Amino acid sequence: MNPRLFLSASDSNPMYQQVIDQITAKVVAGDWPAGTALPSIRELASANQVSVITVKRAYQELERSGVIVTRHGKGSFVAESLEAPRALLRSELEVHLQALLTCATRLGLSREEIRQLIDKAPQPAAEHMRGTKP
Amino acid sequence: MKALELNMPVIRLLVLKDWQLFEKQLAAYVAAGIVALCFLGLATPWSFYLGSLLLIVVMVAAACFAISNSLLAERKEHTLPFIMSLPVSPLDFYLAKLIGNLVTFGVPFAVMALGTLAVIAFTPLPNGLVVFALPLFGHILLAYSVSLGVAMAVESEGWNTFAMIASMLLINPLIMLLGQIPAIGETAKTGTIVWSVPLLSILAAQVLLSIAAIVATGWIHCRKKSFY
Amino acid sequence: MTAAFTLAGIYKHYPHFALQDIDLSLPEGQIMGLVGVNGAGKTTLLRILTGLASPDAGTVEVLGHAMPREQVAAKRDIGFAAEDMRLYRGRSLRWHMDLIRAIYPSWDEAYAGDLLRRFDLRVDQAVGSFSHGQRVKALLLLNLARRPRLLLLDEPTTGLDPVARVEVLEALADVLREEARSVLFSSHNTRDVEQLADSITFLHQGRVLASQDKETFLDSWRRIVCQGAWTPDRQYLPELAAMQRNGSMLEIKVSGFSPDLNARLEARGLTVRSQHPMNLEDIFVATVRAGATS
Repeated sequence: MNPRLFLSASDSNPMYQQVIDQITAKVVAGDWPAGTALPSIRELASANQVSVITVKRAYQELERSGVIVTRHGKGSFVAESLEAPRALLRSELEVHLQALLTCATRLGLSREEIRQLIDKAPQPAAEHMRGTKP
Repeated sequence: MKALELNMPVIRLLVLKDWQLFEKQLAAYVAAGIVALCFLGLATPWSFYLGSLLLIVVMVAAACFAISNSLLAERKEHTLPFIMSLPVSPLDFYLAKLIGNLVTFGVPFAVMALGTLAVIAFTPLPNGLVVFALPLFGHILLAYSVSLGVAMAVESEGWNTFAMIASMLLINPLIMLLGQIPAIGETAKTGTIVWSVPLLSILAAQVLLSIAAIVATGWIHCRKKSFY
Repeated sequence: MTAAFTLAGIYKHYPHFALQDIDLSLPEGQIMGLVGVNGAGKTTLLRILTGLASPDAGTVEVLGHAMPREQVAAKRDIGFAAEDMRLYRGRSLRWHMDLIRAIYPSWDEAYAGDLLRRFDLRVDQAVGSFSHGQRVKALLLLNLARRPRLLLLDEPTTGLDPVARVEVLEALADVLREEARSVLFSSHNTRDVEQLADSITFLHQGRVLASQDKETFLDSWRRIVCQGAWTPDRQYLPELAAMQRNGSMLEIKVSGFSPDLNARLEARGLTVRSQHPMNLEDIFVATVRAGATS
């Protein structure tokens, strides 16, 4: 399993959050299928030049939210069910949704107008890509 | 006691390193020394004067070269932290430098001292000259030991230069002094070597002081609080 | 957990500078970033750890060895590269590699070859003709290739061009793979420290201002922009580290952030506009300034 993630110091999210987001995305996309072993904390840290403690924190939070499970002495594995990563994405969606509604309220847009905007918005590229996955 | 455990393999490597760094220059000094000895051996007044002058110059130069390259340059070029980061104690470092210097200076020194004695013995030069030559070599050894000690113990470049030049230049008054001691000055021109009391005392003092300077340096060096 | 090093009650006086009251410890397997302005005492601290300087008071233990008494045993497992450390100008990198290999049995020639390629260094070139970046990389290579248990690096990224800097950080990240290897590296560049270090130590004017694991440290600081008439003070807001006001807008920086902070601010009539975590550089500057005023 390639431990390389795409992290950046200029991203406004803290490093551990970037690690969480990308691992979650990989799990949801099926890059890292259920039950497979994750890279060890040190391996992932070394491959991405981030500190061990940052990766440790990300793994702990991923475990708490159920995306991965850690078996003592054996390392971490992707959880068998996709429920947790989806739930994580869902709660992220809710945060964005709240922000959207707040912004729209400031602009004085009605729910109907927001709905129209959503219908007109172009489909994000990632969505097309998932369709082509085997 | 732990402090007395020496790291011999590393000391050996450091001596070898100093030797590798200076071997070319040392060969040049030895070559110049041999040229000086040839002049001496010709035994004409002008060649004797030229040869002895050249010999002293080469000896002083070799002494200063050995000290400044193994110690002063190490500090100035910042290679000292590199060496001190290796698994060596201050005592190991001191011994490595001492042995290294005994080799880098000792080899040309021994070649020239023995060469001079041989030249005196096997050429028309009067054999009595040995009583003059020995204290001169003794002085260079003493001046060298003192300069080496100062270079190890004192970090200031000015004091080091002063110690080297002053101690070496004292050879001039020594020559004057030797000429005025009848047991040395007068027997030098004769064909026999006279081991007089003044001669032996001067030689003994030079050797003992050299050893004292080197031991004192080691003692000071191992008590230093920081190394660069 | 065993400690890679432990400093206790360290004092070291120089004519114009003193290292004071240093208590610091690094657990084995961790990377510590030592942040401080030039002249803060980072180099002196590293020299004390290598046995090159002995403190006037206090005890130093490195990899289980009392320093400077057992420095020979300790230095077998310490790699040390300092900014003011030079190699022999007239000699090639190969010559230096052979010297180090002869001294340390742990030298890994294959890894050295790998680093040579990654660092793009010419092994037969005289070290004197190396650029600053090449010199730093050569010194790092000589240290990394013998896999020391503790790496002490004084300003390893200072003065490097961006490409060389990334190469150095990538090589440093190799160390992370092995559990028993620890690193202490000093820098006045907080970005390098922020990325690789597990714990952060701020050193200023010879004293430790803060020393903590990085995640907790970054988490405990917040920059909050709010609006309102009330001006907070340390009595009501003990965690306040810095504050600026312009008209009704107020920017405050706090250490020891807790989630109830916003509620406490709003209870005093302030409206919180935004609240962000801070990067290490901002935290460092705020810490140094807060230390200067308090």
